[in-house]
Amino acid sequence: MLATRVFSLVGKRAISTSVCVRAHESVVKSEDFSLSAYVDRRDHPLPEVAHVKHLSASQKALKEKEKASWSSLSMDEKVELYRIKFKESFAEMNRGSNEWKTVVGGAMFFIGFTALIIMWQKRHVYGPLPQSFDKEWVAKQTKRMLDMKVNPIQGLASKWDYEKNEWKK
Amino acid sequence: MARQSHQKCTPDFHDKYGNAVLASGATFCIAVWTSVATQIKIEWNLSPVSRVTPKEWRDQ
Repeated sequence: MLATRVFSLVGKRAISTSVCVRAHESVVKSEDFSLSAYVDRRDHPLPEVAHVKHLSASQKALKEKEKASWSSLSMDEKVELYRIKFKESFAEMNRGSNEWKTVVGGAMFFIGFTALIIMWQKRHVYGPLPQSFDKEWVAKQTKRMLDMKVNPIQGLASKWDYEKNEWKK
Repeated sequence: MARQSHQKCTPDFHDKYGNAVLASGATFCIAVWTSVATQIKIEWNLSPVSRVTPKEWRDQ
């Protein structure tokens, strides 16, 4: 007997959430946040509540007309009914935006700001370079390394042409 | 089918300023980093190969 009771409940699932809420208001007043909210989401195509909650007089009249044959509805009325139930169409909710331009531009600005910090550091924090980085010192150091034949197989000395006395092309 | 496009009428921040933000941010970033790389005497210690002319180092 209990099973038939359950089945009769399951068979009567045609009541929308909005109707259930309005029916329940006689018992307890629900806060707005505790009710189902309308969302425009690809993965939630038919929200439990309609977009427009409080209909104007003309909208109420249109809802009455909707109860009759739909072929009597004009194109504009059909769109109006759609816009009562839904806020954005799928095309509208899926539209791309130009947000990436702001994001990338902003990120590059802050990366550029980092370069300013490095400039400040070079000027005010780092000490002087050792003398071993002077141009003349590096030239002499290079000749000495070539005279010593440093890394002659694949490294530095292998790139020097000892016959012609110049770097290999 | 009469389609109403709502969003196109009111451009948002990104529509109005996105291109400017992107262009100015990129320009600023490239400009300041090239000056860091070349102008402020950072020693990159690049390879001497094909860049440095060896110089005689023995004292006599």
